[in-house]
Amino acid sequence: MAKRTFNNIKLGIFVLAGLVLLIFALYMIGRDANLFGSNFVLKARFENVQGLTAGNNIRYAGIQVGTVRRVKILNDTLIEVTLLIEERMKPFIHKNDIVSIGTDGLMGNKLINIVPAKDGSPPVKEDDILATKKTVGTEEMMETLNKTNLNLVLISEDIKNTIRRINSSNALWKILDEPTLPDNLRTSMANIQKTTAEANEVVIGLHSIINDVKNGKGSLGAILTDTSIASNLNDAVAKIQRVGDNANQLADELTNLTRQVKQDVNNGKGTVNALLKDSSLVIKLNSSLVNIEQGTAGFNQVMEALKHNFLLRGYFRKLEKEKKKEEASINKTVSMP
Amino acid sequence: MVLSKTWQNFFRETGEMSRFTWRFFAHGFKPRYEFAEFFRQCFLIGYKSLPLIGLTGFILGLVLTLQLRPSLIDYGVESQLPAMVGIAIVREIGPVITALIFAGKIGSSIGAELGSMKVTEQIDAMEVSGTNPFKYLVVTRVLAATLMLPVLVILSDGISLYGSYLGVNIRGITSFNLFFKQVFDALSFSDLSPAFIKTFFFGFAVGMIGCYKGYNSQKGTEGVGRSANSAVVVSSLLIFIIDLVVVQVTDILGLN
Repeated sequence: MAKRTFNNIKLGIFVLAGLVLLIFALYMIGRDANLFGSNFVLKARFENVQGLTAGNNIRYAGIQVGTVRRVKILNDTLIEVTLLIEERMKPFIHKNDIVSIGTDGLMGNKLINIVPAKDGSPPVKEDDILATKKTVGTEEMMETLNKTNLNLVLISEDIKNTIRRINSSNALWKILDEPTLPDNLRTSMANIQKTTAEANEVVIGLHSIINDVKNGKGSLGAILTDTSIASNLNDAVAKIQRVGDNANQLADELTNLTRQVKQDVNNGKGTVNALLKDSSLVIKLNSSLVNIEQGTAGFNQVMEALKHNFLLRGYFRKLEKEKKKEEASINKTVSMP
Repeated sequence: MVLSKTWQNFFRETGEMSRFTWRFFAHGFKPRYEFAEFFRQCFLIGYKSLPLIGLTGFILGLVLTLQLRPSLIDYGVESQLPAMVGIAIVREIGPVITALIFAGKIGSSIGAELGSMKVTEQIDAMEVSGTNPFKYLVVTRVLAATLMLPVLVILSDGISLYGSYLGVNIRGITSFNLFFKQVFDALSFSDLSPAFIKTFFFGFAVGMIGCYKGYNSQKGTEGVGRSANSAVVVSSLLIFIIDLVVVQVTDILGLN
C-alpha cells in the first residue's frame, strides 16, 4: 500500500512536469504573439504588404515591440495592417513616426519597422493611423537592375565601337606618334599664356576706360554722362533748322532776282543789258583804252627825261646804290652756311 | 463476389476492432470506476516509460541538430538551426517517434499481458468473481495510454530540445536563453496545438490495439507472442495513418 502511494507520488510529479512544460511552452509562444500583458493597437495603410501576415514582428528602432494582428484589404489599392504593440512603448511612439515593411535578414520573414520621426510630435493614441513609407521590394530592385543591365549592354557596345574607330584611325595615331608634338604643344601653351596675359591687360585697360566713361571722365564720358549736352544739341539742331529756313528764303529771293535779271536782259533794260548787248559801247571802250595806252607812253618819256635832268640825277643814283647793297647782303646770307 | 481469405480476415478484424472500440466508449464512462487500477497503469505506462523515451528524445534532438547543421551551413543559415530543429521536433518528429517507441514498449506489453491472461483464462475467472474484466483491464489501460502519451511527448520534446541545444554547442556556441528564445520565436500555437492533440489519438490507438490483440489472443502461448507482435505492428501503422489524417485536417483548417 505504501508502495502504491509512493508510485502515485512519482506519477503525480511526472504528470505535473509534463503539464508545467506544456504551459511553459504555451506561455512562451503566447508571449511572442503578445497574447499576455497589455497592448494597444495602431494602424498603418500600405499599397503592397509584400507578403506580411498576421503574427509578423514589429520593431521600433530595432527593438521587438509587438506583432501584426491583422492584414485587411480596404479596397483594391489599400491594405490596412493592424499593429499590436506593447503598452510600455506608448510614450515612445510618436504620431509622425514612419512605418515601413522590411525583412528579417536577407531572406527572413517580413516585419514592420517603425522609424522614429524625432520631430517632437505628440505620442500616439489607441487606433492612430501612422504614415507609411514604400520600401523597395526585391522584385522592383531586380526590375531596375535589369534596366541597368540593358543600358550597360548598349553603353559597352558604343564604347567598343568608339575604341575600334580610334584604333583604326591613322590620322589620330599619326598625331599621337608625332615626336615634336609635345614641344609644339608646350610653345603653343606658352603663347596662349602670353596672349591671355596681354588680353588680360587689355581687358583691365578697357575696364578702367569704361569706369572713366561711367564716372564722366574724358570727352566720351562727358558726351555720355553730361545731361546738358543733350539740350545743347537740341538747341544746335534748332538753330541749324532755322539756318536752313533762312537759306531757303535766300534761295527763293535769288531765284526771283535771276528771273528779274533775265527779264531785264531780254527786254533791253539796265546796266547788264547795256554791257552785254550794246555794240557801240564796246567801240567807245576800245578807243578809250587806246588813248590810255598813248598817255602812259608819253608819261614814260617824260619820266626818262626827268632821270637825265641834273636836278634829279643824284636822287636816282642814290636809289640804285641802295638796291645793289641789299642784293649783296642777301647773297652773303645765302653763301654763309 | 468472392473475397480472398486475407481480405476476409482483414474486414473481419476491422469489424471486431470497431465493436471493441465501441464497447470501450459504452462501458468506459459509466461507474464504477477503477481509479486505483487506472493510476497504477498510469504509473506503469507513463512514468516507467520516461527513461526510455527521454533517452531516445535526447539522442533524437542531438542527432537531428548535427545532421541538419551541414545543410544549413551550405545555405548560410546556420543561425536558423534552433528554429528549424524546434519546429521539426515539436510539429512532427517528437510526437511520432515518441509514439512509435511507446507503441513498441506499451503496445507489446499490454498485448502480451492481456494475451497471457486470456490464454490462462484469468479473464474468465475475473468475470466469475464479479469484476468486470473489460473495465478493469481494458478501460484503465486505454485511458492511461491516451493520457500518458501526451505527457511523455511534451517531456520528450523538452528533452529533445535540450539535446539539440547541446548539439548546437558541440560545434558552435550559443547561450541557453538565446537558443530557447529562437526556438519559441519560430513556434506558434498552430505548430504546438495540432501536434499536442494528435498525441491523444496516438496514445488511444496504442492502448486500444494492444488491448484488442491481447483480449482476443488465441491458441495458447504461441498466440500471446503473436498478439504482442501484431499489437506493435498495427499500432505503429495506425500512428502513421493518424498522423496523415491529422496533417490533412490541420491543413484544411488552415492551421499550418
